[in-house]
Amino acid sequence: MSTDLLQARDLTIRGEGVTIAPFSCSLGPGDRLTLLGETGSGKSLIAQAIMGTLPKGLCAQGRLVIDGEAFDAADSTSRRALWGRRLALLPQEPWHALDPTMRAVSQVAESHRHVAGRDRRAAFQAAWSDLTELGLAEAGSKLPGELSGGMAQRVAFAAASAGGAPIVIADEPTKGLDAPRRDAVVELLARTPEAAGALLTITHDIDVARRLGGEVVILRQGQVVERGPAQQVLTDPQSEYGQRLLAAEPSRWPLPKPLGERQAPVISASGLAKTRGGRELFRDLSLTIVPGEIVGVVGPSGCGKSTLGDMLLGVTRADNGEIDRAQGHTLGFQKLYQDPPAAFSPHWRLSRLLDDLVRRHRLDRAAIPPLMARLGLDENLLGRRPGEISGGELQRFAILRVLLLEPCFLFADEPTSRLDPITQRQTLELLVELARERHCGVMLVSHDPALIERICDKRISLEATPSVAKRELDPVMA
Amino acid sequence: MSQALASRTTPRWTAGLGGLLLQRLFQAGLVAWMVGTLTFVLTRSLPGDMAYRIAAGRYGHDMVNTSAAEAVRTELALDQPALGAYFGWLWDLLQFDLGRSLVSGEPVMAELWHQLGHSLGLAAMAVLLSLLLGPPLGLIAGLKPNGWLDRVSEVVASILRALPPFAVGLLLILIFSVSLGWLPAAGHGRSAHGVLPALTLALALAAISSRVARNAMADVSQSAYYAFSRTKGLGERLSFLRHGLRNAAVPVVAYLGVQFVYLIEGVVIVETLFAWPGIGHALVHAIVARDVPMIQGTALIMGLMFVALNTVVDLLCHWLDPRRRSA
Amino acid sequence: MNTLAMTPARRWMLPALSGRQRLGAALLVLLLAFAWLVPWLSDADPARQQLTRILQLPSLAEPLGTDHLGRSLLARLASAVQLSFGMALLSVVSAAVPGLVLGVIAGWRGGWLDRVLGSLADACLALPGLLLVLLLVAIAPGNFWALYVGISLVLWIEYFRVVRARTRILVTTPQLEASRLLGFGPLYLFRRHLWPELAPQVLTLAAFGAASAILAMAALGFVSVGLRPPTAELGLMMIELLPYYHEAPWAMAQPIVVLFVLVLSLNLLAGRDPR
Repeated sequence: MSTDLLQARDLTIRGEGVTIAPFSCSLGPGDRLTLLGETGSGKSLIAQAIMGTLPKGLCAQGRLVIDGEAFDAADSTSRRALWGRRLALLPQEPWHALDPTMRAVSQVAESHRHVAGRDRRAAFQAAWSDLTELGLAEAGSKLPGELSGGMAQRVAFAAASAGGAPIVIADEPTKGLDAPRRDAVVELLARTPEAAGALLTITHDIDVARRLGGEVVILRQGQVVERGPAQQVLTDPQSEYGQRLLAAEPSRWPLPKPLGERQAPVISASGLAKTRGGRELFRDLSLTIVPGEIVGVVGPSGCGKSTLGDMLLGVTRADNGEIDRAQGHTLGFQKLYQDPPAAFSPHWRLSRLLDDLVRRHRLDRAAIPPLMARLGLDENLLGRRPGEISGGELQRFAILRVLLLEPCFLFADEPTSRLDPITQRQTLELLVELARERHCGVMLVSHDPALIERICDKRISLEATPSVAKRELDPVMA
Repeated sequence: MSQALASRTTPRWTAGLGGLLLQRLFQAGLVAWMVGTLTFVLTRSLPGDMAYRIAAGRYGHDMVNTSAAEAVRTELALDQPALGAYFGWLWDLLQFDLGRSLVSGEPVMAELWHQLGHSLGLAAMAVLLSLLLGPPLGLIAGLKPNGWLDRVSEVVASILRALPPFAVGLLLILIFSVSLGWLPAAGHGRSAHGVLPALTLALALAAISSRVARNAMADVSQSAYYAFSRTKGLGERLSFLRHGLRNAAVPVVAYLGVQFVYLIEGVVIVETLFAWPGIGHALVHAIVARDVPMIQGTALIMGLMFVALNTVVDLLCHWLDPRRRSA
Repeated sequence: MNTLAMTPARRWMLPALSGRQRLGAALLVLLLAFAWLVPWLSDADPARQQLTRILQLPSLAEPLGTDHLGRSLLARLASAVQLSFGMALLSVVSAAVPGLVLGVIAGWRGGWLDRVLGSLADACLALPGLLLVLLLVAIAPGNFWALYVGISLVLWIEYFRVVRARTRILVTTPQLEASRLLGFGPLYLFRRHLWPELAPQVLTLAAFGAASAILAMAALGFVSVGLRPPTAELGLMMIELLPYYHEAPWAMAQPIVVLFVLVLSLNLLAGRDPR
């Protein structure tokens, strides 16, 4: 084997209730390593331990060899001289990682100037040519607040790699990006190993890991569950957790029960149009949703998916068009939110919130325990506040809350995008099952086309193009 | 590449300033109107025969007679119906015709001109001193939140904030003038006279600005962009200079606007305590002597000074923070 | 369903206090206990002069000594704290209530109502607070009510602005929208969603506001344009005792220490640094 660029031997991290079991790896020129795991698996901590940026209270142990030089992982300051020059870190949320008061080009140029050691003029020239090459010529003189997530990610990439570091560590580089943007970032990352560098990527997204290739390590609660070539680990995992993780990919989900006989629609709309901020989101959009039907909405971010649902609920007004809601259901139109904790007041116990609802509408308390059991919610959870239970549990509690009102239409706005894949599958399966059973029409928004493809009876795809933006309802399921 | 070249022209820092200045101009007008109206109400609400009392104050009790009282009555328009007099009053104000002091008989403008210099000198010294003391201390404390310097400066700031400026001034007088005899307690003339009043004001201002700077710096040093500038290889010093300082300065400068409220209030108290012949001292004297034209003049000048200082802060913020230009 | 029946009886949320806030609250309680217990336990009159016993050192009969007119400093300090705190409480309440109500309305409703109320607040802020108070005091010299009106007029804006800004953000949040879709009315939304978020900020503002009201009153007393002698008022006491600094430094120190502790306790109770 050739000389390794990055080598870690028995890297352990301890402190404040966190333990990461000994982790070793070695990366030569052109190698790629991906750490895959859900939130709380400790995958980001490994990157921070290598960089020497662990949060206070955590300490690392073990040996590191970086570009031929040996380091003790416990001495967190020893790697600072390598930053930007031999070791580059792509930050988690590029939007927050750029200085909000400095123009994009200056943030790239300062790396060229102070890290790569060019003079002022040459640094700016290099920065402009970097940005132009990444398709950002227009964005150079903008402030980070004026950039989109994908643009900010590319600017951060240019700024981090200006020093020409051969080792790149990318920490959740695709967080919050939609599918096309995500693929673009993966391409960007692949440049490092192609130029004989080493790439260490941390992600929760199986698809990203698959596209990057190389070696994959699956982490769970600080333990390495499985490791091996991406090809093998991501098609035929040996560990039980690896299999569950893979089975949580939408394309492998079991098909939901088919929708039976189509009844009279719970909601129908025709000729809907909406313009926001001088940009037309859609025009002449028509749809109908019948009881028990799951209708998926896909499209890039900012295309008006949420706005469409809010219009159906009557939360937002349409510029044009008509909406017919089924009669006799004043409280029958409900919503599930993307970020479960944001949909609750964090200050009250769940029991109180449930109690408020029961009292407000004189509901039957007897209906609650069986439904809770069905949703896999333990009674003990009611004594806690929304921030004290997991996101998956809280989203199921949100489902419980709306189902108590016996809705006929539910708008689910990316209800599982903040959940890990296994919880996502479990939550959506329950949602579909209950919708069928209780004859509730669902409109499900997702940024993941594969997911929509799998569980929805119909699909509406909105496009980002300002003028045309409507595809009529093609049944995606045979 | 030509496209890239074209877009390199960044907007000038003055972009979007017009609306801001217009707002401040409106505020200045509002200040003048409020001061004018309140002092007008004041003249009408004074008990007894106002003209006699003022004349007595001006010429002495022995000299006062009906014609002197009449002269005062016309001067203050006490003989006219309220509404007409009110508009006349505002009209005079609009022309900067502030009348004569009822106590000294001098034109108010002349007196103000003289006092304004003293007040501005004191205020400038105080602000300068506070800027030297507060923000640097806060920035250093904010780089290491909860370090010993942070703790100590927090305790000192809490104590100073709980002591009103006159108590701080009093303590300084007792320590430096009465006990040690190093500095003169009151009066004006030599530069040494300015030290204690300026220090009194500066300590009160620095107590707050050091904490604001500390919080701003702590926020910045824990931000993702500060961490990124370090990991991309800029090092501690360059990160602080290029990303820390500007971002931390934005809230500190913005807070200066709020601080000027304390400054104006402090000027009134501190000048009175140290017998500093400025606007604040004159205002208090005028209120005690019920010298209406002087009350109006001093309040007006202090209000306008407040607006002017805030305009300077606006300009500074605008220059420091490019986000404001595009917004 | 047992858990449902077991919900705590608390209907309104009060924010939990931090250690520093508890220290402030304890200091304040001590000082208020002093102010209200002294007149109850001793019969000393804050206004009674005894020119034969001026500037006496603390003794058993006069635990804090006497001032330049032989008045009991104990009684005068207790009375001054009552006055300062009473005024602060009154102006904070009369500033916080309209500030909160108008802030919620403006932030919730938006539109022209918001603009009108916003301009009104801006107009009140055009002049530095103490200047406005001074002008009002000039109209009615030595009058407690002029002071009170002036201070409240300056203070309410702070509540209004903070509450309006926070409400404006909160009404667009999913949590409020969710509860609205679930069929809850405005009162419920305020109680469960807005109040818990606003309460800590309102408490902070109230404590800071009380501190600045007390400081303003003392400052005016100190420059002799506030309340008139023989009222026992902290600023007035300081300026009255200043000439006797050499003979009786302890007497001079007392109102300063009391004012310091009063303001410090309120600042600690406020909890956060000013922003």
